[in-house]
Amino acid sequence: MTVPSAGLSRRLVNWARAKSPWITIYNSGACNACDIEIIACLMPRFDIERFGILVEGSPRHADIMIVTGNVTLKQASRLRRVWEQMPEPKYVIAVGACGASGGVFKGLYHVMGGVDGVIPVDAYVAGCPPRPDEIISAVVTCLNLLKEDAAHGGKEWRQKKPLPRMDAKGSPVIP
Amino acid sequence: MPEVVIPIGPQHPALKEPVNFRIIADGEKIVRLELELSYTHRGIEKAAEQRNFIRVLPLLERVCGICSHSHATVFAKGIEEIMQLEVPPRAQYIRTIIAELERMHSHLLWLGVAAHEIGFNTLFMWTWRDREAVQDTLEEMSGNRVHYNMNEIGGVRCDLNPAQVNAALSRVPVLEERIKKYVDMVNDEETLLLRFRGVGRMSKEEALKYGAVGPTARASGVDYDVRRDDPYLAYAEVPWDVVTDTEGDVYGRTRVRIGELRESVQIVRYCLENIPAGPIRVDAPKNAPKGEILSRYEAPRGELAHYIRTNGTDKVERVDIRTPTLANWTSVAMCLVNQNIADIPVIVAAIDPCLSCTSRLTVTNRENRPGVAVVRAARRGSSLPGSEDEEKL
Amino acid sequence: MAAEKASAAYGCEGLPGDTMTGPVTIDIIKERMKEFGLTEQVHANRVLVKTVPGKVHDAIGTLQTMLGCNRLITISTLDNGETFELLYHVIGPHRIIITLEIDLPRSQPTTPTVSDILPPAGIYERQIHDLFGIIFEGNPNLKKIILNEDWPEHEYPLRKDWKPGPDTFYGGIKVERSEGN
Repeated sequence: MTVPSAGLSRRLVNWARAKSPWITIYNSGACNACDIEIIACLMPRFDIERFGILVEGSPRHADIMIVTGNVTLKQASRLRRVWEQMPEPKYVIAVGACGASGGVFKGLYHVMGGVDGVIPVDAYVAGCPPRPDEIISAVVTCLNLLKEDAAHGGKEWRQKKPLPRMDAKGSPVIP
Repeated sequence: MPEVVIPIGPQHPALKEPVNFRIIADGEKIVRLELELSYTHRGIEKAAEQRNFIRVLPLLERVCGICSHSHATVFAKGIEEIMQLEVPPRAQYIRTIIAELERMHSHLLWLGVAAHEIGFNTLFMWTWRDREAVQDTLEEMSGNRVHYNMNEIGGVRCDLNPAQVNAALSRVPVLEERIKKYVDMVNDEETLLLRFRGVGRMSKEEALKYGAVGPTARASGVDYDVRRDDPYLAYAEVPWDVVTDTEGDVYGRTRVRIGELRESVQIVRYCLENIPAGPIRVDAPKNAPKGEILSRYEAPRGELAHYIRTNGTDKVERVDIRTPTLANWTSVAMCLVNQNIADIPVIVAAIDPCLSCTSRLTVTNRENRPGVAVVRAARRGSSLPGSEDEEKL
Repeated sequence: MAAEKASAAYGCEGLPGDTMTGPVTIDIIKERMKEFGLTEQVHANRVLVKTVPGKVHDAIGTLQTMLGCNRLITISTLDNGETFELLYHVIGPHRIIITLEIDLPRSQPTTPTVSDILPPAGIYERQIHDLFGIIFEGNPNLKKIILNEDWPEHEYPLRKDWKPGPDTFYGGIKVERSEGN
C-alpha cells in the first residue's frame, strides 16, 4: 500500500488521518459506565476535540470504533455488521474489563464475552470503568499503530489470529 | 392510508444505549410506538443466585453505571433487615452522602443530555463540567468515579477523614451557585421553554393508571417518594422536602429534577456537617436466615424494588429486580401518541431511561387497530435492520 | 419526623368512588381480604395474603375499589422446586404494601391475567413468561421480547433446573460457559 518512499499525496493522506481521526462509539450491551466516561472525554475537562477528534454517528465516516460492553447474544451479529461497514484503514478499541473478556459478566447465559470473539481488536483499555485519561491514551496508541501500519504497508504484518467466521445467518461462530 | 413503520436501530447517535424503536407514524404524527429493548440483557438475576454475599454486590452494582450505588444499597439494606443487623449511624450517613451525590451526578448528566437532544450544546458542556466537581468528590471519598463499591453487608467499606469532608464542603457552595443559575435558566431561557413546554403531557390520572414512578410521576402531581414514605438510611433525620410540579410535560420534569438537585445539595451539606462519630460497620454472619423482604429505594430515576428471598445459606435464593425505567416505559409510550416525530428524543430522554438497568423490556400495544397493514419504510439513519418479520394487525 | 410529614401529605383516605370510609389499617385489610385467603403481617408496613390463582383477579379488584390501592409495585416470581410462586405487590396512599401470593403447579403453570384492570402488569407478565414459562391467559401480547430472537423455544433460563449445556447453540453462537464464575 504505502512505503516510505511513496508519493506526496499518499503521505499527505496518512498525515491527515493521523492528525484528525474520526471515531464512532458502539455499546454492545454494557452497563453504561464506560460510555459515560467516553462522553466525558468530549466535555470541557478532558476535551479531545482540541486534538481534531470528532465523534461521528455513522460507521462509514469513522476511522476508529470504540466498543464498550460484553457482547450480548443479541448484539453479536449487529456489531459484526457495523464493523464491516467501516472503510479501511479501521481500528477497534475495546474498552474496559467487559470488552477484554466479559468482565464481571463472564459466563452468563446471554453473554458472549469479550469483543475479540466477534471482531479483531487493536487496543484494549483496562479498568471498570477506565478513566477518560486512559481512553484518550488508547486513541493515541491507535494513531501510533496507524503510522506504523502505513510504514509497513498495511495491517497484515501484525495480525496473529484469523478473523472470526460467520454462519449463514450472519452471526459470528466461535470454533 | 397505510401506516409507515420507521425503525430507528440500535446503533444511533441519539442515545448512549442500544435500543430499537419502531415508530408507526401517520405523516408527522406518531400513532404507536413499539420498543425492543433486550440488547443489554445479561442474565444477572440467575448469576446472583450462584454468588455469595460478598461477590454478589459488585455484580449488582454493575447492573447500571449511573445508578450503581442504588442497586448495591437496596440489596445490602434488604439483607441486613433479614439478618436483623443494626447498622451504625455513621455508616448510614456515609451511605446517604454517596446516594445524594449520585443523585446529583445523575440529574446533571440528564440535564446535559436533554439539552443535547434539543440542540442546546452549551448547556450540555456546562452541566457536564459542573458534574466533574461531583465526580472529584466521589473519587476522593471512594476511589473511583463510577462504581464506588462503598457498601458491605453491615455497613460501609471505608471511612471519611476530616480532609475529605473539608474538600467536599468547599465544593458545595460552588455547586449551589451553579444550580441556582440552572434554576433561573429553566424559568427564563427561550430555547428551553419553546422545546419543552407542552410536549409529552401526562395527567395525574394517567400517571397513576400506567404506573409511572420517580420524577416522571412527581411532575404530574403524584406525591410519592420512597425516601419520605418508607424512610431508610438517614432520611428520617435530615430536613428536606419532596419536589412536585403540576405541569406534567417535559418542562415539568425538568423543573422537578432541578428542584431535586437543590434539595440534594442541602442534604449533602447537612450530612457532612452533622455526621456522627462511631464505627462504620458491624460484623455480619456468613449465612442469612430464611426469610423474604421487599426492599425499596428512591433511585435517581424513580422507585427501585428488589424482592429478595433467602434460604439459610450464604447465597440468595432469588433476587427479583424491578427497575424504575421498566415502570416508566408504558407511560412514555402513551405520551408519544399524537406527538411529532421530531419530539421523540426529547420525550424519551425526559423519563431518563436507563436501559441497562432495565435489561429486559417490552411494551404491550394497548390500542390495537385491526385490519391495518403495516408497510416497511426505508431506514432512516440507522445502519441495521430491526427484526425481520412483517406485522399484520 | 418524616413519617408525620408523610401522613399529613397523603392523608389516609381512599380514592373517589370507593366504598370505604375512614383510614385504612391492617385490621380492615384482614377483614376485607378474608374471603380470599389468610392474611398475616410480615413487616411493619407489609401484609401477605395467601390465595389461589382463580381469585387473584377479584382480589385485585377489591383492593382497588375497597381499599384504595392504586399502584402495582411489581410482580415477583420464584421457583421453589415443586411449584412456582407468584407475588403481586400493590400499594396505595395508605402506604401499606399488600402482597398477594399464589402457587402454580409446575406441570401446568397458567393463570389469568390482571393487565385489563392493572395496565402496568402487562409488562411484568410478558417478562415473566419469557424467563419462567408461565402462561397468562388473556394477555394479548405474550411474544418473546427479552431474550434473543434466536433463543430456542421452551428454554426458560430462570427455572432452577435449567443449565446451559456445552453443546447447545443459540443463534449460531457456541460459547463455553462455566458455572459460578
